[in-house]
Amino acid sequence: MTNLSNQNKYPYLGFGLGLRKEHYQDVLDSQPAVDWFEVLTENYLIDGGKPLYFLNRIAERYPVVMHGVSMNIGNTEPLDKDYLSRLKKLKNSINAHWLSDHLCWTGTNGTNAHDLLPLPYTQESINHVVQRIEQVQDFLGCRMLIENVSSYISYVQSEMPEWEFLNEIAQRADCLLLLDINNIYVSAVNHEFDPLNYLQAINPQRVQQFHLAGHSDYGDYIIDTHDEPVCRAVWELYAQAVARFGETTFMIERDANIPPLAELLDELSLARSIAAIVQQQGYHKDTIQVMLDSIPVQKVIPTEQEKMAI
Amino acid sequence: MIAENQSLKDLQMQMLAWLQVHDKTIKSSVTGTEKVPADIRLDIYANAYRYRLIEALEETFPAVNTLLGDEAFFKLGLGYVDAHPSQHFSIRYFGQHLSYFLASDKSYREQPVLSEMAHFEWLLREAFDAAGDQRLTLEILQQIAPENWPALQFSFHPSVYRIDLSYNVPQLWQAIEHQQEPIDIVAQEYPQAWFIWRRELKTYYRSMDVDEAWAMDAMLKGENFALICAGVCEWVDEQNAAMRVAGFIQNWLSEGILSSIKPRKIS
Repeated sequence: MTNLSNQNKYPYLGFGLGLRKEHYQDVLDSQPAVDWFEVLTENYLIDGGKPLYFLNRIAERYPVVMHGVSMNIGNTEPLDKDYLSRLKKLKNSINAHWLSDHLCWTGTNGTNAHDLLPLPYTQESINHVVQRIEQVQDFLGCRMLIENVSSYISYVQSEMPEWEFLNEIAQRADCLLLLDINNIYVSAVNHEFDPLNYLQAINPQRVQQFHLAGHSDYGDYIIDTHDEPVCRAVWELYAQAVARFGETTFMIERDANIPPLAELLDELSLARSIAAIVQQQGYHKDTIQVMLDSIPVQKVIPTEQEKMAI
Repeated sequence: MIAENQSLKDLQMQMLAWLQVHDKTIKSSVTGTEKVPADIRLDIYANAYRYRLIEALEETFPAVNTLLGDEAFFKLGLGYVDAHPSQHFSIRYFGQHLSYFLASDKSYREQPVLSEMAHFEWLLREAFDAAGDQRLTLEILQQIAPENWPALQFSFHPSVYRIDLSYNVPQLWQAIEHQQEPIDIVAQEYPQAWFIWRRELKTYYRSMDVDEAWAMDAMLKGENFALICAGVCEWVDEQNAAMRVAGFIQNWLSEGILSSIKPRKIS
């Protein structure tokens, strides 16, 4: 076990965006004021063509970080060595500052479900995941980040809350955390806990990066869809996260219903403003509320068909 | 001996069985709330599993989708998800068996144009992100002494894919892609040879005469220039065969689909 100080984290990268194919040309042409880009690992584990062409050019101009969905760290089958080799090769070729994946499992028995499926929060899961993260970090020769996922079910087997699970894994595996503020909010609504308790419980020494994203609110539950702007409640929670964790590398994820780049740059500006105010003055609810007056409270009432289409 | 992670393993198998075949064993491990019962929670995952995979098919096979219509394509997706669960770490490869599925499943095999279109769209996808490679140039070929030509072998760029089509699939694809007036599905009298390739970042396809297709297939198999000239005599006079094959090579050079020759140093 290691006690990390801030010096043991990766350097702070500022305010970034997820790189999406819809914005490739725009990013190269306009060179927007984005501090760094997060790239979806699996989109670039290919041999050539357009995605790699743009990635290489953008990585020459901006710091990049890799974010994956297929490490399947919670699976009970052996780790996919071919996948890890490709990961390592890509990381080296684009000089990625770090790489992250999710604290979940995505498939088993040779099948990939391509979904971020939650683990039961048990000592058995912790032991299992810790040794797998250690294997990955040994193979890659660097610390990785693990991200908390949105979830819709809890298991009767769980022995602790999610934040304890996350903390213990990060501590024992000596890895860093990618804290997804939206996912905390989504899971808080879905499992009826206070998201502030989650934030307060997380060990700040392990937090390397934040994610923010939009979701779809169906009233009784929320689905993490990444197809909408970040909503007001998540911005409020972000302000609280800045108060708790201080200066933290930040990015916005948008995976569907991709808007023009300018729209995401506006969201990024808001994140910068919130971070600056909170770091200067501390968290004051009223100040944040005024800043968020232009952000709509989001609620989607789905038709039955839409519900099915989730 | 029971593995240290046995109960986690069991739970994962139960969840997978829920996603794939709606086996409800997992339900006893899931807690619900008054507002959102366990059934609804589990349905979120079961729906997401199918919809995400079908969405990946929609992205890779827009023309198959158009030929079938949205509702029928969705039904096809449901059948395919069950028949060919994803086994690759990347969802990009999920559709790799769709052409085979359409050719063999009894609901679709009577409409072979669907399988052909799926094959064509899959190869477009393969060419799109195939490895880059050097391009063979005319200057290199001009340095080769005439006596060394018979033994010469050619390698194609990794993005080159051959396909024979019994229907007017590329024309249908183009009309769909460019949102032009729908055109009729037409069965060809004989299968038409095509090839697909990528140059820089753009993907192309074109048809070939039967002797050009034969020559390309032979070259892809590693046959040398002399053997290919001999083979082309099936369609042209012997004295014209070398010129004919040289003409193919010239076209392929200008299209950028040849990458290297073997032996490399024979000038």
